[in-house]
Amino acid sequence: MAPPADSSQPRFAAGCRWGTQGEERVVLFPEGMIRVQGTGQKILELCDGGRTVQEIVKALSATYSGGNPSRIREDVGSFLEALQQKRIVDY
Amino acid sequence: MIPNPLALIAEITHRCPLHCVYCSNPLQLAGTEAEISTEDWVRVFQQAHDLGILHLHLTGGEPLARADLKELIQAAHDAGLYTNLITSGMGLPEARLASLVDAGLDHVQLSFQDSRDEPANWIAGTKAHAHKVVLSEVIRRFPVAFTVNLVVHRQNLDHLEEMIAFAEQLKPDRLEIAHAQYYGWALKNRDTLMPSREQLENCLRIVESAQARLSGRMRIDCVVPDYYARYPKACMGGWGRRLLLIDPAGQALPCHAAGVIPGMSFDNVRQHSLEWIWRESPAFQRFRGEQWMPEPCRSCERRAEDFGGCRCQAFLLTGDASATDPVCTLAPTHHLVETARETGAPSEAKLSWSYRTNP
Repeated sequence: MAPPADSSQPRFAAGCRWGTQGEERVVLFPEGMIRVQGTGQKILELCDGGRTVQEIVKALSATYSGGNPSRIREDVGSFLEALQQKRIVDY
Repeated sequence: MIPNPLALIAEITHRCPLHCVYCSNPLQLAGTEAEISTEDWVRVFQQAHDLGILHLHLTGGEPLARADLKELIQAAHDAGLYTNLITSGMGLPEARLASLVDAGLDHVQLSFQDSRDEPANWIAGTKAHAHKVVLSEVIRRFPVAFTVNLVVHRQNLDHLEEMIAFAEQLKPDRLEIAHAQYYGWALKNRDTLMPSREQLENCLRIVESAQARLSGRMRIDCVVPDYYARYPKACMGGWGRRLLLIDPAGQALPCHAAGVIPGMSFDNVRQHSLEWIWRESPAFQRFRGEQWMPEPCRSCERRAEDFGGCRCQAFLLTGDASATDPVCTLAPTHHLVETARETGAPSEAKLSWSYRTNP
């Protein structure tokens, strides 16, 4: 599948969701879990199926003042594409 | 320090409307009267969460045979567990599925016996296939992850490509292609189920090309048959290291088949906490770590990867649960596996196999 477009609206794939392990926030999916921290966690928290990739990049650029938006767009794209391949995210 | 388990396998009943010839349940099945109560399971799920467990696999038998399944899923969800229902789909009208999803069900794993109606029903010993096809469309309409599970063996591997195309039409997120593993009923029927080396090699090639073709649409996981491996599998991720299983009567076992090992006694969740069972009970310590290992395992550089293989298989094939798993090419008893591979029976023998009974 192609990388997400600016207008894509990423969300968790069916049956994938947040969970907790101790104090830590983790992503649960069939047969596994991943720990996402820092920027990865921020990106996923913005993926509500409503916001577009463009809006997510904008929100992140505001959080990380001084961040280069085209660089952030690149990181968001490759992060979501990798999770889509694992069937954790849809867009 | 013993790490916390990752997942709990809850074999909530041995009752099942199917009679699959490769069922992993023990030959001695627990009847309804032996099953533990709803309250027992609810307590176990809370204890599982407290022990750091994230995933709960509800299996059987057929878990839908328990009338309190919705309460069990609700309790597991409330305890913070990710819930996976491993099912034949028999006894799951849409309204019941809706109530299970409402209760917090995250993932449905639906088993298929074949892509074709007649051979599927013949493996299952009952007419189930057409019903499963209809049900998979219903499942896809609900917000749950959907896995199709397909058990493969000598009798169906020759049309694996057709089976993958069939699974693709059901639109699951994931397809699990599992070679029959020789415990319980599958061991009884081993000669009829054992694939040839040629079948296995074709299978690996077909799976690899399907994985590439379907990448990002349907993930394919393939469990390879250990009889053809060079080294044994790290059974259950090592004894008492990652998983624990509770049987219908509440006995806690380190794996599905551990009940066959003579001299073992398994503690029950009715008498003990999960934490005590995991950390202290004699059964979980029996083959934990490396102290029990014989040579060639004890000095093998792979001992921390495969943990000497499977204890139940070692017992079933050699009569000694402490022996090196005979599937290992370094095992002194490896000839037992070589012989079993070669005696895979011609297809005419399939008429005489043993169907799984009901408790």
